Amino acid sequence: MVDVANEVQKQVREKRPFTVMTVLKNRWFLYAVSVAAFFLIWDRVAIARVFSSGLPRPYEVVLQLWSMMFDPLAGKSLLGHVWASTQRILIGFAIASLVAVPLGLMMALNRYVNAIVKPLFDLLKPMPPIAWISIAILWFGIGETSKVFIIVIGTFVPCLLNAYNGVRLVEPELYDVIRMLGGNRRNEIIDVCFPAAFPAIFAGLQISLSIAWTCVLAAELVSARSGLGFIIILGMNLSRPAMIVGGMVIIALVAWGMTLLVTGLEKLVCPWKREIEGL
Amino acid sequence: MDQPATTIPKIRCEDISKEFIQKGRQRVHVLDHISLDVKENEFVVILGPGQSGKSTLLRIIAGLETPTEGHVLIDGREVEGPGPERGLVFQGYMLFAWKTVLGNVEMGPKLRGIPKKERRETAAHYIHLVGLDGFENHYPHQLSGGMKQRVGIARAYANNPQVMLLDEPFGQLDAQTRYFMEKETARIWETEKRTILFVTNNIDEAIYLADRIVTMEGKLPGRMHVVYPVDLPRPREHTDMAFLKLRHEITEASELTL
Repeated sequence: MVDVANEVQKQVREKRPFTVMTVLKNRWFLYAVSVAAFFLIWDRVAIARVFSSGLPRPYEVVLQLWSMMFDPLAGKSLLGHVWASTQRILIGFAIASLVAVPLGLMMALNRYVNAIVKPLFDLLKPMPPIAWISIAILWFGIGETSKVFIIVIGTFVPCLLNAYNGVRLVEPELYDVIRMLGGNRRNEIIDVCFPAAFPAIFAGLQISLSIAWTCVLAAELVSARSGLGFIIILGMNLSRPAMIVGGMVIIALVAWGMTLLVTGLEKLVCPWKREIEGL
Repeated sequence: MDQPATTIPKIRCEDISKEFIQKGRQRVHVLDHISLDVKENEFVVILGPGQSGKSTLLRIIAGLETPTEGHVLIDGREVEGPGPERGLVFQGYMLFAWKTVLGNVEMGPKLRGIPKKERRETAAHYIHLVGLDGFENHYPHQLSGGMKQRVGIARAYANNPQVMLLDEPFGQLDAQTRYFMEKETARIWETEKRTILFVTNNIDEAIYLADRIVTMEGKLPGRMHVVYPVDLPRPREHTDMAFLKLRHEITEASELTL
């Protein structure tokens, strides 16, 4: 039968001898050096009181976080505050993506929808979401609604833009393929347009998620009784730098964890994406 | 319509002309009065340099473009749009990146509403025919160029089309893979005969594969130049005396070095 072996490339991993140089050049070793150096310099700077009492030592931050785990602040433990912020993000993000993604798809597929929505969208697009905070508080008060509103505003734009561009950038010849195979307009949309645009849509969701963190933080810094932004502001009002830095560290960790989760989800739902050019 | 089926050509191009209107109001005359008959199970190669309108002709026969003048008839019936009785293989492969090899190949039968079990069998048959056994669950990005085009060929074949249209299918491959794929194309065609219209700019590819070669003039509007019957025995050898003689003859007759 046919021999396709000449077209398949085999990956060969070279084995190198184990020496001091290979350890020094090892990726993980260098990661460890980098992180250790960061904490060491931080500690030295804190001890030298470069920022007078404004910078806590790393271990003080850890102690602060540990105590917040068990001693509630404003009625919530640390995990409670993490959940408060996360919940706002999830609600706002869900609302925005459920409206913006279908709207973006419809704009790309139907020129009438596009003609009606695009001018408004272009008008509001350049406005930074944070600019809406004051008016949101006037409209919705200082409760949950105003914070969710800010997140919706902030994440709406990348969700819509990516869905729109994702459809616009689908290779037109793919529609020819589906028509030659016997498909109709419905198949063009369901079997080509949506799956081809999916990686772009997903990228929009990823961008939205990081923007959502910025938005929730800003909203919580302005007015909140819970959430990670609230911890930071409380630390500032109480002059407790360990609390501020602790809040920052937790935000970084939670946002990082969410990104990992989304990346993992992406690999699961679109395993082909990595190799598509231009994304 | 009363004629017996054997006298009706499989593909008949009747006096086809095509003009595009480009940005502004500039008209581009791409095809000029092309007439061509292709018999059932004949392998016809359209040979011409780039920008000679040969791909446009193929897209018109596919039904993806409408001719400005003239008609295309398949089995005596006029082509009015794209359809599954014609299989098209693209130069850029155009595989569905989100589907596996199997998913790509079974797409045609799926669109025609063939039950799952049956279309799986059809897909497996053509995956085997193009020599991709064991790669059913690979995604296109995991395949080399030659293998991608094998999927493209299997996908077109899986609809069991009357006519196969191939638009410079090996244009993106390196010389060795290209040569190998030409052999494969000949083998696949011998195994499952179809009426084939194959567009290329490569003279060796044309002589290696064709029953008949139609050369196009090297400038727009595209006109048919000369038709060469190729009655060399198969399998053919690129270094065969008769092969080289025909190659020389075609090169001499065209104003461009092909």
